[in-house]
Amino acid sequence: MLILTRKLGQKINIGEDIVITLVEIRGTQVKLGIEAPGSTNIYRREIYEKIKGQNVSSSRIGPADVSTAISLLETNQSRGKKN
Amino acid sequence: LETTRFGVIEIEAEKIIHMPSGMLGFPRRKRFVIVQHKENSPFFWYQSVDDPGLAFVIANPFLFVPDYKSYTRNILRNVCLEEEETKNQAEFYVVVNIPKGEPQKMTANLIGPIMINNKKRRAIQVVLHESPYSHKFPLAGKTEEK
Repeated sequence: MLILTRKLGQKINIGEDIVITLVEIRGTQVKLGIEAPGSTNIYRREIYEKIKGQNVSSSRIGPADVSTAISLLETNQSRGKKN
Repeated sequence: LETTRFGVIEIEAEKIIHMPSGMLGFPRRKRFVIVQHKENSPFFWYQSVDDPGLAFVIANPFLFVPDYKSYTRNILRNVCLEEEETKNQAEFYVVVNIPKGEPQKMTANLIGPIMINNKKRRAIQVVLHESPYSHKFPLAGKTEEK
């Protein structure tokens, strides 16, 4: 991993198009400004991991599990109506 | 179209949805079709056109979370596939998870909805950074409480 030291207001270029600015430092938090082409996807890592994890596990579900889930929903629904 | 789960299925070319960035974690699969699990099913399959073995379980979020509607309006205000006109043609699905043998624990990921531009047949998986919703919203929990 490349590690660079930057002062407040200084920037980093990634390639030609991506510029990262150190906007604010407050205690253990830093604020970063990111300039990138509209086609670049920028995510907070932990949110990216959550969504990716859900995608991966969803891609492992088999049709039988979906059928079971549907009958469960149907049972719940009819039970709800009776009450 | 060949699929591992459903065998060979026939699809119309204009039903294919293009995802320039793919699904998160699967950037190289860019074409999908929506296959209904069975008639009147709340769940659908988001089947890859290029990988027979790749399919996600998805659902219409509004069936389970009625107030998600006002939320997606917000998304549309902030994120746009291309132009303004997309706003009236967007359709939303959420990725569903069903733990094996524990269907009562099924959940939907409300922070990474698939937004489809129906007219252009293009889609993106939207990443919601500031969201009141969970990536594991329980789908079977509410009725059990009664």
